[in-house]
Amino acid sequence: MNPRTRHALEFVLDNLVWFMLVFVLVVFSISIPNYFQLGIFANIIEASSVLGVMSIGLALVIITGHMDLSVESVAALSAMAVGILFCSAGIGLGVQLHPEWLMVPVSLLIALAVGGIIGAINGYLVVKVKMSAFIITLASYIWVRGLVLVISGGRSAQDLAPAIRWFGIQRLLGLPLTAWIAIACFVVFSLIMAKTPFGRHLIMIGGNETATFRAGIRVNRNLVIAFVLAGAIAGLAGWLLAIRTSGATANLGVGLLFNAFAAVVIGGVSLKGGVGTLPGVYAGVLLLSAINTAINLMGLPANFTQVIHGLLVLAAVLLDAFKQTIRQRLA
Amino acid sequence: MSGTQPGMSEPLLVLDNVTKNFGAIEALKGISFSIGKGEVVALLGDNGAGKSTLVKIIAGGLEPTSGRMLFEGKEFLAKSPAEAKAAGIETVYQDLSLCTNVDVVANFFMGREITRKFLGVAVLDEPAMEQVVEKALASAGTRIPSLRTNVEHLSGGQRQAIELNRFVHFGGKLVLLDEPFAALGVEQTRRGLDMIRQVARQGIGVVIITHIMQQAFQVADRIVVIRQGVVAGDVARNKTSPDAVIDMITGETLAGAGPAG
Repeated sequence: MNPRTRHALEFVLDNLVWFMLVFVLVVFSISIPNYFQLGIFANIIEASSVLGVMSIGLALVIITGHMDLSVESVAALSAMAVGILFCSAGIGLGVQLHPEWLMVPVSLLIALAVGGIIGAINGYLVVKVKMSAFIITLASYIWVRGLVLVISGGRSAQDLAPAIRWFGIQRLLGLPLTAWIAIACFVVFSLIMAKTPFGRHLIMIGGNETATFRAGIRVNRNLVIAFVLAGAIAGLAGWLLAIRTSGATANLGVGLLFNAFAAVVIGGVSLKGGVGTLPGVYAGVLLLSAINTAINLMGLPANFTQVIHGLLVLAAVLLDAFKQTIRQRLA
Repeated sequence: MSGTQPGMSEPLLVLDNVTKNFGAIEALKGISFSIGKGEVVALLGDNGAGKSTLVKIIAGGLEPTSGRMLFEGKEFLAKSPAEAKAAGIETVYQDLSLCTNVDVVANFFMGREITRKFLGVAVLDEPAMEQVVEKALASAGTRIPSLRTNVEHLSGGQRQAIELNRFVHFGGKLVLLDEPFAALGVEQTRRGLDMIRQVARQGIGVVIITHIMQQAFQVADRIVVIRQGVVAGDVARNKTSPDAVIDMITGETLAGAGPAG
């Protein structure tokens, strides 16, 4: 095999999920009436913003060779905190700040802090108590959702302060600001992973934790930061979720974890750690969203979505194994 | 003890009665020896004698149960590999310490990446790092097709070459090599031994663990034998013979006594 075909093949393998996304969009555009519209594409991006943001945090932790199952519940808790404070109906307290725009940074900081604290607890337990991240974050997944039920009493908060909701309504180039926030997050974290020593260290920790420790990288510190980031990013997802639904309910975001998981795996992140890029994850998120939109347009019952997502995850894992074999042939 | 060769009398690292217990097992029962600047010490001993444990203690991977160490005349105890590295101690481990999921350059600079400021943020300076690696590997005669290939695609010899070149490049003050040539061919081993001499000439102390007597005699100034957690022999290379060293390893001579021949 000459070097050029080899490079081409490696390029395709590295960016397979983007090719899949384009392929799926083309097929849907041809076969489904009304799919090929700018509005539909904008809708795909818009609908994927919460899931996309959450997937970033999950991907970070999985790339370092660990796991964070708590992101969904953390997002719900952050959304509920924002909802209770800044909603005016239901269980909302209707806190008012002057000037009004001050509510935006304050609510955002609260959401990030709530997520960051839970992430810190997860990270501390993983690093210090040396328990499996899977178990620790599974526990968090359960108790954090429990906390949401406790503080809300199972009721909901509605009518989020208009100053905050503005982010979900105001559009820029056809996309709401919330979607731009998700895109900005992907850009920023992709750059952090690819261009900074911190990102490089996370990838290497995922590849061989012992080697990085011996090389003098502060593994524990990096791991805790990764968990805190995952938590804070989940908090941001919760903030976006509260804006999107203009409030918070006790069961807000249920099921998002598995979609985030699907997006991360489809995006080419290996569950063994050390492999995967954030642009790939974004493509995975968009792919899921594109398929959801197609299901809606075809008028299939929404329940089909879950079956298709499950099959997609299976396909992604099989594809990952297949890619490995091809890569070994190439080497 | 360490003053076996003129001009090498200044001890770089002194170990004083270092012990290590794993539960009820006494892996090291009290190790004392020293390494001079620019000196190459071969650490020999049978499997399970405690050589790797000792290296890990010096390198900050394990804490000793008791005893003390002096590094450049000062009390020294590395609580982590990062601390040992900061003090100037480089280690090449028996089981390779490479991240196979990233490329050659990333592995070479693991933990001490070259960065440049971009809008106030430290970002990886890939071209600068690539240049350094290219130069380092070329001067050592190591051929690796592309520095941007992930290490998982490289052979065992190529991987070991990366580690060896890494310590030659970063140097430091003391280098610990735990069976560094296990995966190397004849020619690469010869180059590796040359590298060690070259590093020692710069005044860097070298401790090399090996199983192969011939290598020890080729490269070392002094041979230290560990048997059952104690120093069973500490002799200048030119005052001993492979047979005498084998006797020390297997326990045919009294502990601490130099061989007659």
